[in-house]
Amino acid sequence: MKKIFSTKWNAATVVLIPVCIGINFLGKLFASTLKLPLWLDSIGTCIGAILGGPIIGGLCGAINNLVYGLIIGDNITIIYLFTSLGIGVATGIMARLGFMKTFLKSLLTACVAGLVAVVISTPLNVIFWGGTTGNVWGDALFAYTQANNMPVFLGSFLDEVVVDVPDKLITLIIVYLICLALPKKLTSLYEADAEIERLD
Amino acid sequence: MKSITLYVDNHTYLTGLHPYTKLFYVLTAIAVPLLCGRLWVFGAFIAASILMLISAKLLRKAVPLIIFSFTILITIFLIHGLFYTRNENPLFRIGPLLFYQEGVLYAVRIGLNILNMLLSFATFVLSTKPSDLVEELEKSGFSKRFGYIINSVFQIIPQMTGTMNTIMDAQRSRGMNTEGNLIVRAKAFIPLISPVIMSSLINTRERAVALEVRGFDSKEKKTFLYDRPKKKADITLILFFALLIIIATVWRITLWLP
Repeated sequence: MKKIFSTKWNAATVVLIPVCIGINFLGKLFASTLKLPLWLDSIGTCIGAILGGPIIGGLCGAINNLVYGLIIGDNITIIYLFTSLGIGVATGIMARLGFMKTFLKSLLTACVAGLVAVVISTPLNVIFWGGTTGNVWGDALFAYTQANNMPVFLGSFLDEVVVDVPDKLITLIIVYLICLALPKKLTSLYEADAEIERLD
Repeated sequence: MKSITLYVDNHTYLTGLHPYTKLFYVLTAIAVPLLCGRLWVFGAFIAASILMLISAKLLRKAVPLIIFSFTILITIFLIHGLFYTRNENPLFRIGPLLFYQEGVLYAVRIGLNILNMLLSFATFVLSTKPSDLVEELEKSGFSKRFGYIINSVFQIIPQMTGTMNTIMDAQRSRGMNTEGNLIVRAKAFIPLISPVIMSSLINTRERAVALEVRGFDSKEKKTFLYDRPKKKADITLILFFALLIIIATVWRITLWLP
């Protein structure tokens, strides 16, 4: 248990967090420039979680939303602070358990992260938006469930599942490919259980 | 380098207020209507925020922030007006669409809450410099690592957007297609984003070394360049907002009592 949450607190991890937030921002920007029907705004959070562990991942997610909300003015995202935090922590734990080692295992991580996002977002959606998510496909499904007199919670849950799980699948495939290519020189900066060997 | 913050330094009274005062206003504007639960309270705070924005000459800057949320507000009206599960009494009809009273009322409530949040945040975001807020937070005891993280986000994002534009041009000049159908655009995503991510991650190593060399991990107490004492107006406003929250809480509790 201790090994999963252990985190290195040095300048390297502190520098990693803003870079990950920048990556989140770029993912979002590219997705909207290329007009892709996904968000792709948690690539950085996942990279942070895999390199630095669940605590760094959670911090990346939470600070990401705080910065957007408080300072860039997109303040609806503040509500989803908990979702980002959950995604970061879930990915971090899965990565520490070894679920980012192969491609198929990383797909499982994606499903876990997606479901965590859904479980946290659904109550927020119901409280603040009455159940909608702002994504066209998801909201069309939500309208259909409401027209058929299904409960708001179920409708909103399906609305999120349709949007979040594919989004996280694509995100983690990209993250997996990137992590394969990262040099050992960089990843060794963040390994919490690394030991320093003295030769003197 | 283009700044990504929305802060406008136009030397009005609003930019001169202490960041905490404005933050406390945001808290009041969100908490009081939710505690009271009456629609007119939402209206009153929306009006107050708009008046503040007008008097600080920031309204024109705030409009894009609000317009951004309009599509979401319209979907909320459509979905709840038409399909809200407790719909009973028809209200009005546009063509084949029949809107119901309960659903529209519910949508109005959600809509007003969102508008109120957006506007009160706009007063804060447009008139406060992020680094000022971070410095004040550090003075009140927040960790300096946290401060560094927030401040460096504002330096890193413009830098990364610059790199991204360079890479986009480079890949286009090699003949990569970034326009066309969904598959073409999706295929373009990885060759565009992976070089930016890789280069910025690799740069973190140098950044970390640079910070360590300058004593980032030092335990000495930090000193600050600017001194921002709370003025009389700040203290009066904070007391006033605190009073509003207390009144709203008391009102809420009396509602619960039989």
